[in-house]
Amino acid sequence: MTETMLATATRTDALIAPLWAEIVEIVPEAEGVSTYWLEFKDKALRKSYRFAPGQFNMVYLPGYGEAAISISSNPNKPERIGHTIRFVGNVTNAISRLSRGDVLGLRGPFGTSWPIEKFKGNDVVIAAGGIGLAPLRPAIYQILDHRADYGKVTIIYGARTPADLLYPREYDAWRNRDVEVLVTVDRGDASWTGQVGVVPILFYRLRLQPEKSVILTCGPEIMMRFVIFEGLARRLPEERIILSLERNMKCGQGFCGHCQIGPYFICKEGPVFHFGQLAPFINVENF
Amino acid sequence: MSENNALLDIFHVIPWFQQLSEDHIGLLADFSHLVEIPQGKDLFKEGDKEDFLYVVVNGRIAIEIMFPGRGRVSIYTAEPMDVVGWSSVTPVVRQRTASARAVLDSRLIAMDAGALRRLCEGDCALGCVVMRRIANVVAQRLLVTRLQLLDLFANPGDVKVHA
Amino acid sequence: MPEIKLNLGSQVAIRKPVFDQLLGNLAKAGYETIGPHIKDAALIYAPISGLADLPQGFTSEQDGGHYRLKASGNSRYFDLTPGAPSWKQFLFPPRTELFNLMKENGNWLEEALKKEPPRYAFIGVRPCELAAIAVQDKVFIRSDFTDPTYKSRRENIFILAVDCLHPGDTCFCASMGTGPAAEGGFDLKLIELDEVFLIEVGSQAGLDVLHDLSVETIGADWQQAAAERHKIAVRSMGRHLDDVASVPGVLINNLEHPRWKDVAARCLSCTSCTQVCPTCFCWDVEDTTSLDGKNTARIRVWDSCFNITHAAQAGGNIRPTTASRYRQWLTHKMSTWQQQFGVLGCVGCGRCITWCPAGIDITEEIKAIRGEAVK
Repeated sequence: MTETMLATATRTDALIAPLWAEIVEIVPEAEGVSTYWLEFKDKALRKSYRFAPGQFNMVYLPGYGEAAISISSNPNKPERIGHTIRFVGNVTNAISRLSRGDVLGLRGPFGTSWPIEKFKGNDVVIAAGGIGLAPLRPAIYQILDHRADYGKVTIIYGARTPADLLYPREYDAWRNRDVEVLVTVDRGDASWTGQVGVVPILFYRLRLQPEKSVILTCGPEIMMRFVIFEGLARRLPEERIILSLERNMKCGQGFCGHCQIGPYFICKEGPVFHFGQLAPFINVENF
Repeated sequence: MSENNALLDIFHVIPWFQQLSEDHIGLLADFSHLVEIPQGKDLFKEGDKEDFLYVVVNGRIAIEIMFPGRGRVSIYTAEPMDVVGWSSVTPVVRQRTASARAVLDSRLIAMDAGALRRLCEGDCALGCVVMRRIANVVAQRLLVTRLQLLDLFANPGDVKVHA
Repeated sequence: MPEIKLNLGSQVAIRKPVFDQLLGNLAKAGYETIGPHIKDAALIYAPISGLADLPQGFTSEQDGGHYRLKASGNSRYFDLTPGAPSWKQFLFPPRTELFNLMKENGNWLEEALKKEPPRYAFIGVRPCELAAIAVQDKVFIRSDFTDPTYKSRRENIFILAVDCLHPGDTCFCASMGTGPAAEGGFDLKLIELDEVFLIEVGSQAGLDVLHDLSVETIGADWQQAAAERHKIAVRSMGRHLDDVASVPGVLINNLEHPRWKDVAARCLSCTSCTQVCPTCFCWDVEDTTSLDGKNTARIRVWDSCFNITHAAQAGGNIRPTTASRYRQWLTHKMSTWQQQFGVLGCVGCGRCITWCPAGIDITEEIKAIRGEAVK
């Protein structure tokens, strides 16, 4: 049996039909990206729904289909569930045309979560790129809720341009909680006084103690590959480099076979993995 | 000589200078000086004659290229301890290929590139350390540039994918 | 004749005409009896009501990409090994409506799909097929999530298994440890001799079906005939795969073996193998809407890892080449499946060999990757 990071929610019958949730707020975050705040229409469900940081819902728009979207809000405030959605395909582009009051279907939460509990007492480096900050934000909130339980906390975040940075209004609030927030962009503009470069390079600024640090990373796979490289170069054990993967998903529960990488169903044993699980496969072309 | 002392203090703090002997550091300090650049001011412009190799002490220097119609686009920022203008040490290119502008109030060590080249040619041990260091800088910049080139964050709809 | 007391595990014999009464008892108990039946020169599974519907006197000639029915020269009913269809279509149907929504007053309401699940009696299930059902049980009925369609159908089936005494030309169940004799997981099991069927009782349901039938004790000569036939069957497999235990490791450690490109040059990525495979379970969803927008449904349909869109997502296709998709299929079926479900996905039925238009032989491909000489 492979080591898995188990989700907190369990149920036995497969979730087939969606549960309805109303869009209570739409927050544009960047061009082509908005956060949809949802509340379940059923009051009891609104109160009982729980998720762990890193998990996702299958978001359903009747007639169009579903998309797997990571939950990007605070797990301690689960009555209002935030989904930061990038408009890239059929379903998400249709969602982009919805308004407050419209209804979406949700199935979930599915998948494994960031092992926040397990790495208490450690220094944490959160390395995110682009939309990858969205599934990490719940982990950031959870760490901040127990700030004293962690050592040095650093967030390294990169996006294409300054306008593509997600949640910029929160960076100072995080800095005020004794978190170092290093931000970089691929290309700057005339008014940008921040860094221009790529996320993996920012590791040069850090001092990591291999047995006392953990890296949580999410972003384009190439970026994660280089982050992993930087972690390994600093002698971090493979189990202390944690990443979140993305694959074509249909059922979210390990039945339809689409999201497999090697022996793992990304919706079941993932999307959060530690590098040791993926090391044999992640560099095999087209696997 | 107090400026020289301040300079020497800074040399001792910068990681890659720590590999050098005291004598070598003294030699470098002889043709170096500190530069203060306020926010918004250029350090050098595209096309300028190359004359100095810089190391950032404080602040942030943006490497920018002028894009007709777009203005100046920043393609890299040098942080404290980063090298700026590394190509002045290599014999190939003789003018700046990009501009450098302080985006924060910045302080840099400026080393006379011609003097440094002559010193390295005369003292191979020193030359080896300096060139190795420059090679590392170039390698890191190349990696950054490649990842930027891949445009990892591009919208999938904009990228033609070979199915 | 003294009354024979039947229990679980009892073994008795019935004369062949009694078989029709057995099917009759199943029908009376509310089962739809499905069994092997010849249609359009091939063997399918269809509703049957008696011996007359079975492929009496038939056997088959099979090879990579080749299938022909042949006269067996005897009058037995169960010599013919399975054709392209498997029992999978009944437990995991090719098209299933997952939900149906109606729009009322601006709200989407779920239409009740609570139809009674069908009650099938599977007649003539081969040991490899029993193993395949057991494999799919592990896929669809789990401790974390269970598929309700599969579970409700599975709970309602009756299985009459049949030992294979005449394995086919592409069969390798003996290598995979799944046959040619069935060892459990059935309600009744049948061994066909020329004069009689030998029956073993596997469950209470099986016991009930026999209750008013004329049964005989199994004489020593019938015992012996069955044992000898079994021995011959074990030795008559059409294909072999030695050292199956080593296969998962070999495949997963050779993800960049040149054989993948080699087989990809022959493979048409047509998905035939996954359709005929009794354990393949990939599926896709279709979301459909009525023209007036008042009704939307989600349908589950069989999919295949050979389909070019299987691993496609916004941002690209993870497996755009036939080589990568063939590798996915074989490493899943014969390697990573074991880590996922505790057993291998292949039961040695040979369907993927027979029904591959390019004649690709899974046993040969594995041997090639293991470095053995192949045809």
